[in-house]
Amino acid sequence: MEETPILKVEGLKTYFPVGGGLFGKKQVVKAVNDVSFEVMEHETFGLVGESGCGKSTLGRTLVKIYEPTEGKIEFMGKDITKLSGSEMQDFRRNVQMIFQDPYASLNPRMTVGEIIREPMEIHNIGTPKERDEKVASLLETVGLKPDHVRRYPHEFSGGQRQRISIARTLALDPKFIVCDEPISALDVSIQAQIINLLERIQRERGISYLFIAHDLGAVKHISNRIGAMYLGSLVEIGSSDDLYHHPLHPYTQALLASIPIPDPKRMRERKKEEINGEIPSPLDIPSGCPFRTRCPYATERCAQEKPQLRQVGNSKVACHLYDK
Amino acid sequence: METMETMELTPDLFEPLDSAEKNSEFIAAEPRTYLSDAWHRFRKNKLALCGLVFLVIMVILAIVVPMVSPYTYDGMDYSSVNLLPCLEHPMGTDKFGRDILVRVMYGARISLMIGFSSALICLVIGVVYGGFSGYIGGKTDMILMRIVDILYAIPNLLLVILIMLVFGSNVTSIMIGICLTSWIGMARMVRAQVMSLKEQEFALAAYVLGASKSRILFKHLVINCMGSIIVNVTLLVPSAIFTEAFLSFVGIGISAPAASWGTLANEARSLIESSNPIQIIWPILAICLTMLSLNFIGDGVSDAFDPKKK
Repeated sequence: MEETPILKVEGLKTYFPVGGGLFGKKQVVKAVNDVSFEVMEHETFGLVGESGCGKSTLGRTLVKIYEPTEGKIEFMGKDITKLSGSEMQDFRRNVQMIFQDPYASLNPRMTVGEIIREPMEIHNIGTPKERDEKVASLLETVGLKPDHVRRYPHEFSGGQRQRISIARTLALDPKFIVCDEPISALDVSIQAQIINLLERIQRERGISYLFIAHDLGAVKHISNRIGAMYLGSLVEIGSSDDLYHHPLHPYTQALLASIPIPDPKRMRERKKEEINGEIPSPLDIPSGCPFRTRCPYATERCAQEKPQLRQVGNSKVACHLYDK
Repeated sequence: METMETMELTPDLFEPLDSAEKNSEFIAAEPRTYLSDAWHRFRKNKLALCGLVFLVIMVILAIVVPMVSPYTYDGMDYSSVNLLPCLEHPMGTDKFGRDILVRVMYGARISLMIGFSSALICLVIGVVYGGFSGYIGGKTDMILMRIVDILYAIPNLLLVILIMLVFGSNVTSIMIGICLTSWIGMARMVRAQVMSLKEQEFALAAYVLGASKSRILFKHLVINCMGSIIVNVTLLVPSAIFTEAFLSFVGIGISAPAASWGTLANEARSLIESSNPIQIIWPILAICLTMLSLNFIGDGVSDAFDPKKK
């Protein structure tokens, strides 16, 4: 499985200035704060974390919706933080994104055919006839009917729209797709369908995914490796089995303990590994380890020194508890 | 519960779906575009439909009447001055013996042309300016919007009168005068809408696909404010017609012998106490009915494009 990395992120930081104006104090939201990881070819890398922990910002920085403040993003050996115009168009063909809300991610004034044809028009791929054929075959791939091309998005259900949105991303035959919570807006029964569709597409086309979600069950199912994110930092990276069965970081442990079990008896028996309080504001990240304010094992050292990701067993974890 | 656990699943328990269930997700209705949907709702509003019919008749008359009539708008005939309506002159003649029907219809050409073309010019300028400003945002937006604020602070009438003084009293200068400030409302509206739409995921999706800025702006953002833009245009037309009529009435608009409705009303004003006071009725009637129907159309259009507003 593990061969060459398709995407390599090193020390990535995405900050947003807020406030300022005439009188206000200029502040900085550290949405992504020094993140490093790799995604291998044909691999699905899951990203989990609470709302507001910077998962989506990280995903959006990777497709260059947001400019990174600092750090390196290497895609197929090329640093994409400094690309020329034509290199950028190449990058766009290879890296695509599926969005969370299937009701907002399709232009309501365009027919399904126009939506799926658009990427090919932008990149000047094929003749009009070839484009029509490709649209028809893509619709079939995602499980829609070819006669849907003349329909408008509002005529479809959420799951069907997400399929349209997947077909649009596939029109460019990308090598890497960022899936930004693609299933969280859908019904549970539909979620499984979309996950299966994504898995089948990966098998057939050898695409790598970055799969962002807060639904831990779905992430475990689809991912080879998972990264847990807290307040802009990656706190643990491990294979999905390791991370699920032997979570190392206190935050990952707490996150896993929060998964509801569909059995009230076992749910009651489960050891309560509660974490208290709210996630701190990304405007004012705690010194040292970002999790120390809520961590039951926090020591003095955690306040002074930010732990770095280091290999512990099969996983990587950023926590002082595992220092010798 | 127990029966469920012991139940054997045999093939004869299953039966194939009938075709009705198989096609339960089939959408039977013909796909309808946004515009045909709006037209459907517009047609239900009888008042707006009457307005539209009246406006179409007015436009046809304005084109046809001066063409087929034996009289011209500036042909004077001193043997038939100030006639009351009769067979040869359905609306009578004015103090120079000119046929009023032809003059009113000729005036309709000018008034309607000014109304529609200045609305069109405002549409183009407003959408491009507002769209650009809203999409680029930041400092560019700040500067562009302050320019608009400054323009907006100058009294409209003063601006129009100044332009008439410089360029003379003709259709072009009236249009320039009206357009100079009327596009501002459109620009502000488009800017506000584009600003909220550009954060929507479909705009981000187009960006990630590699679409150019102008493609995103016009194919994805502006097209989604089409409803409000069309509503805005239907309100711009009557306001332009009214401004022109007002200017001509106070004597700084179209100059003789050409005529717009405002000029005609102004000319007839001096005869209001003479033997033929009804001359003033015709241009005023034309203005009122046209304004009324345009406003009905505007109402109908805004309801048609925004069904939630009702």
